[in-house]
Amino acid sequence: MGLDYKFVLWNQYKKKYDMIIAGFMIIFLFLFSGITLIVNRETTIETLVIRGFGILAMVLLHIILVIGPLSRLQPKFLPILYNRRHLGVSMFLAALVHGGFSIFQFHTLGDTFPIYSVFTSNLDYFSLLNFPFQVLGFFALLILFTMAATSHDFFLANLSAVTWKLLHMLVYVAYVLILLHVFLGAFQQETSLLTISILGLGFVLVAVLQLLSARKELRTNKIESVDSEGWFRVCEVDEIEDNRAKIFIVNHEDVAIFKYENKLSAIHNVCKHQGGPLGEGKIIDGCITCPWHGYQYLPENGQSPPPYTEKVATYDLKLVGSTVFIDPNGHAEGTEVEPLIISK
Amino acid sequence: MKKQDEFFVPYINGSLGSNTKKAIRRLVYIISIAIIVIAVVFAFAQKPFKNGSFELTSETRLTGVFHENPYPMLRVKVADDSYKNILLVGFGKASVKRYFARLRKDFETLEGKELAIEGNLIYYNGKTLVQINSEEKIKVTGNPDPKTPPSKEKIGEATLTGEIIDPKCYFGVMKPGNGRIHRSCAVRCISGGIPPVLAATDRQHNLQYYLITDMNGCAIHERILPYVGKPVEITGIVEMYEDWQFIRVNVQDIRETGETSLIY
Repeated sequence: MGLDYKFVLWNQYKKKYDMIIAGFMIIFLFLFSGITLIVNRETTIETLVIRGFGILAMVLLHIILVIGPLSRLQPKFLPILYNRRHLGVSMFLAALVHGGFSIFQFHTLGDTFPIYSVFTSNLDYFSLLNFPFQVLGFFALLILFTMAATSHDFFLANLSAVTWKLLHMLVYVAYVLILLHVFLGAFQQETSLLTISILGLGFVLVAVLQLLSARKELRTNKIESVDSEGWFRVCEVDEIEDNRAKIFIVNHEDVAIFKYENKLSAIHNVCKHQGGPLGEGKIIDGCITCPWHGYQYLPENGQSPPPYTEKVATYDLKLVGSTVFIDPNGHAEGTEVEPLIISK
Repeated sequence: MKKQDEFFVPYINGSLGSNTKKAIRRLVYIISIAIIVIAVVFAFAQKPFKNGSFELTSETRLTGVFHENPYPMLRVKVADDSYKNILLVGFGKASVKRYFARLRKDFETLEGKELAIEGNLIYYNGKTLVQINSEEKIKVTGNPDPKTPPSKEKIGEATLTGEIIDPKCYFGVMKPGNGRIHRSCAVRCISGGIPPVLAATDRQHNLQYYLITDMNGCAIHERILPYVGKPVEITGIVEMYEDWQFIRVNVQDIRETGETSLIY
């Protein structure tokens, strides 16, 4: 959590994370370039750069797309999600080198402005076989640029979490554009069953993990019954672990009910920072702590502890015997709600 | 810390539990192995590049007789009664013609004049080009050659299959300098004034190169762009001019085959 904006708020985890990303990139580029220079000596440095960074960007994009569902399916992988934006920026830089060198190599020093040439040098827009695949890569690069440029809490706060999230969901559009860019471009000429299979496997991996993650999401606890006052029966109090929560869908909203210090509190499940699932978090030092980036909220009022200003909606709870009920009409964000004491 | 209690908070040192660490370490190993496999497979899967050469950092001085049409060439004597016609191209994706502007003020015509040029050699498979990047690198060194240069020898009508390439990239500047990946660059080069060349394969898969002109034997650029970098079948009149072949074509007679080009 931070009050003011710095370019990067470094900590030991971020440093380690970035070193691992750099390690991945160096290993890949070193191996790809080294082998190409040994077995295919006639290569040119431009081709080596374009191909090396293009494939590297694809590999990093797959890792990025896999991290999200993987950490939803197995919370042990959440620390990888924590600094994903650095991976995203690294991937954009690799894609930028690929795209920049390609535009320089194929479109500059000619009779037309290079960007205009990207769109007009091949006009077979209605042919699948000859489609101008570079245009697809260009649009993907624009999306990746937008994402990398706004990949900072300053933009997250100023664009609003919802807009920011929508903007960053464009990564899936970029992914489809890049797949088409490769299949309609490089794979039409460099036809190797092995490389095509690897990209195909990557797509299957991303798709399967996304589907499994979505299925898990759909299995969120459903409301079983409603009492005469319109309160929803959610669960037995023992079903919630201490300092943890259970998530329920109440009036189409995800709500997290936390148990802590023999008390119960309910807040809206979506973190104001990046939309993380607060109900998968934990009570630490008396605060609900988001599992994604550690943003904190007080359980009794859904407010981040001062001086922070984030707020989420709160809900009334009642106990009938050992059964927990929730009033589906939530309060405004940050409204104080007396925690429900669990009688012993 | 109990297994289920492990909870990572980035700003709390030591909050990364041992089981979480183990799981992440395992994932990092798996990703490392995947990256190594992908790098190796993609590196080995690349098709071999041609051994064309582009002497970017060194310039060669050549003297020969200049012929401007349909495409600028220098006829260089390589042995007694043996000549090589060297295609002249400009810097970048452009014709060499812009560098003749200064000389044209002094000479009514450059056709048939002996020129000394300096430029970067590009060569592959018996063909040579020179990239000239300044008008200072071209000098008139002699009067028009009194000998009549040989005229083109008509071979006859032929139907050829191959790909229209830009010779500057294909013969050495870029690798690959042909095909789907390179297509937009070839379009830019030919649009900028580099001569279009048909790289055709015969039944034995032997490569032959033909400078493409219109039916009047004149240079052709813009009209041929839609067919550049694609497998095509071309019917036209083939002519021989010493070490180069020409083909006169009607653009409307060029047919896209939609097949994989054998020149890949």
